Amino acid sequence: MADEFMKGLFVLTGGALAWLVLSGWYTTESFEEGQLVADVTVSQIDIYATVALTLREALFWFAIIGALTFWVLIPAAREARSAWASRRSSD
Amino acid sequence: MTDTETDPEPATDGGEEVRADGTGIVAPDDETPTWRERKERSQGLSRLTYEYFERARREDQDLRTESTYVERDVLAFPTWPHELIRNLSITFFFVGMIIFLSAALPPHIAAPADPSTTPAIILPDWYLYWSFGLLKLGPLNPELAILGGEKLMADRTYGVVANIVVVGFISMVPFINKGAARRPVEQPFWAAVGVFGVTFAATISALSVKNLLAPVIDTHLLFDLTFLLPFVTGFISYGLLKTMREGYMFSLNRRYYRLRPPK
Repeated sequence: MADEFMKGLFVLTGGALAWLVLSGWYTTESFEEGQLVADVTVSQIDIYATVALTLREALFWFAIIGALTFWVLIPAAREARSAWASRRSSD
Repeated sequence: MTDTETDPEPATDGGEEVRADGTGIVAPDDETPTWRERKERSQGLSRLTYEYFERARREDQDLRTESTYVERDVLAFPTWPHELIRNLSITFFFVGMIIFLSAALPPHIAAPADPSTTPAIILPDWYLYWSFGLLKLGPLNPELAILGGEKLMADRTYGVVANIVVVGFISMVPFINKGAARRPVEQPFWAAVGVFGVTFAATISALSVKNLLAPVIDTHLLFDLTFLLPFVTGFISYGLLKTMREGYMFSLNRRYYRLRPPK
């Protein structure tokens, strides 16, 4: 149980850290306004920017869905499976 | 731990008296089930934690059985390697994080300050916002009828006095409550007082920048919330902790703090 929590936390913090870096490079207006969530700030979107912005979006959902997977989905599946097994054995 | 005899609670920890001087530790003989047999953990972090403590305990035992070893009166882990390995890994992690962030996200360096002009907004550092907010308690400064509607002291004096009162109360707390409890659930009232204080620190900090928060929240509402929210969170945490006391095993948890010096 503790392991699943650490995996989820690692996914959340690691994904969020990488997202933070890419957002700092590509979607930060300035230090004082529009940090991390501003519109794309680079003038031309070349191949690097395309890859980075795609990766940024993917990392965002990876952090959220990955953490939810380890904290909610997997424990819930285990609970459901054990409940199902005990119900079958009691019959 | 001398109050074990008078403790009316059922013994959930085997009922043994816990000795804090380390004399209760004896090396196991052949018939004693090993720590491993009793407490084996099969997987994951619990296994890792168990291995760590088992290794430390066994090294401690090996040392103790050596003839030159002097029995220590404090139960603890050796500095090397146990403490240092752990501390070094934590240190390396944070140093690496600092280097990574400073390399990947170099901070913005603003233009040098102009000493000949005053900025539009002057604020203290964020950790002093609470004190700055206490200077803005002018609306609470009472207009006394006995003085013909005059205030006893100016608003700015009132703010300074408020700072003295708050700092005075904080410095009194360690003398009012010695803090024998190790967990909030053991003393719900004082835990609630702490939650009240933390919340008030946050709300009074928000009040100190009310001109910046004006687009977000109405200033009068913010002023009211500054004094209402601490009571709300304090009452909620008091109720929650009171509820949590049911089923809390005080004598069991006392075992974890056996190194606390006796009263």
